[in-house]
Amino acid sequence: MYEAVHAHPDGQSTVARFAKTAADYGYEGVVVRNHDDARATYDPERIREEYGIDVVEGVEIRADDPQQASGSVGNYRTSETIVGIHGGTTALNRFAVEQAKVDVLAHPMTGNGDVNHVLTKAAVENGVRLEFDLSGVLRESGGRRVRILQSLRKLREIVDHYDAPYVVSAEPTSHLELRAPRELRALGERIGLSGAFVDDGLAEWGRLAERNRRVDSESFIEPGVQRGRYEEEP
Amino acid sequence: MKHLPKHLRPRWRYLAVELETWPDERIGRRSFQRELWYAGQNLLGDPGSADAELSVVRFGFADGRGEAIVKARRGETEPARAALACIDEIDGAAVGLRVRGISGTIRAAEENYLGRDGQDSGERNVVFGNEERVAVLRDGVGDVRLDEAFVGATDLDYDLM
Repeated sequence: MYEAVHAHPDGQSTVARFAKTAADYGYEGVVVRNHDDARATYDPERIREEYGIDVVEGVEIRADDPQQASGSVGNYRTSETIVGIHGGTTALNRFAVEQAKVDVLAHPMTGNGDVNHVLTKAAVENGVRLEFDLSGVLRESGGRRVRILQSLRKLREIVDHYDAPYVVSAEPTSHLELRAPRELRALGERIGLSGAFVDDGLAEWGRLAERNRRVDSESFIEPGVQRGRYEEEP
Repeated sequence: MKHLPKHLRPRWRYLAVELETWPDERIGRRSFQRELWYAGQNLLGDPGSADAELSVVRFGFADGRGEAIVKARRGETEPARAALACIDEIDGAAVGLRVRGISGTIRAAEENYLGRDGQDSGERNVVFGNEERVAVLRDGVGDVRLDEAFVGATDLDYDLM
């Protein structure tokens, strides 16, 4: 299971601290999803070796409009393993789900954002993962939390119906905000996402990273094209 | 009143909980208990929190680290875990929180899951991001004091001076 984190300077803990804490908590990896205006400097190889946990390089693109986002996607697609879009407005939600180069539409329901059947079908077609953002459930209270829970329920119903790809994250911005997978599963059970659903959403980050790494690797030629067995020269 | 016969007494489970805050924060047992009740009530509602009967039975906190044992009714440990996960602040101090394990007795919970890291923390000058800073170090990790806030880091991120 993987957690996607905002590391220093986007958050309050460094990638290494996240990795160490996440390893203690039983995660298999962390995805660094810093916003593109607050990139972290770190050495994934060294952290991997030191704490025995996978570190996935990613980015969450925050843009004012689709044009700007489109430029950023082009810039980061080649260098980052996971490219997400900071969702929450109608224009950017729509842009993200229609763009096959985008991996994740982050927190689509925050702010003025909304998701409907049209966006979800587009997300299925382009393989864009919709994110279930549990940070509001963990860290808000009162009426605001009720609104967040309503939006998560709506998203779950649509995702279930179209069998859309999704990820789950608590969006921690410091190692103190990190919660163990079992805690998130228990929380999911309370708010109408089943435990298996939450597990699957956390694991999806890992599958996504693995797929993108394979696609980015040297041995990958094109979808459906594989290096075959050749006859040896006699 | 005469106490209940054994087969009618409630069965309890004890959750061993690990707490962490930034180094300059202090949290007390009463405020942790209060936040636990609030979290239970907010997430589980009145009936749910009555079922879980969350209460703090052991609590210790020093130098930004703490350990607690939370009692919950048997069969209600998952709701209790979910309520605990929703505690993000105690008296305005951000807390990291994790359930290390669940046992049927306080003693087993303490012996199996708590009291592991007894390492003391100390302040040191470090170089973090090309600047000299003060950090509180412990056990391979350190919280570096910036101008207003702390940054959670590990030995990989700074150089000791």
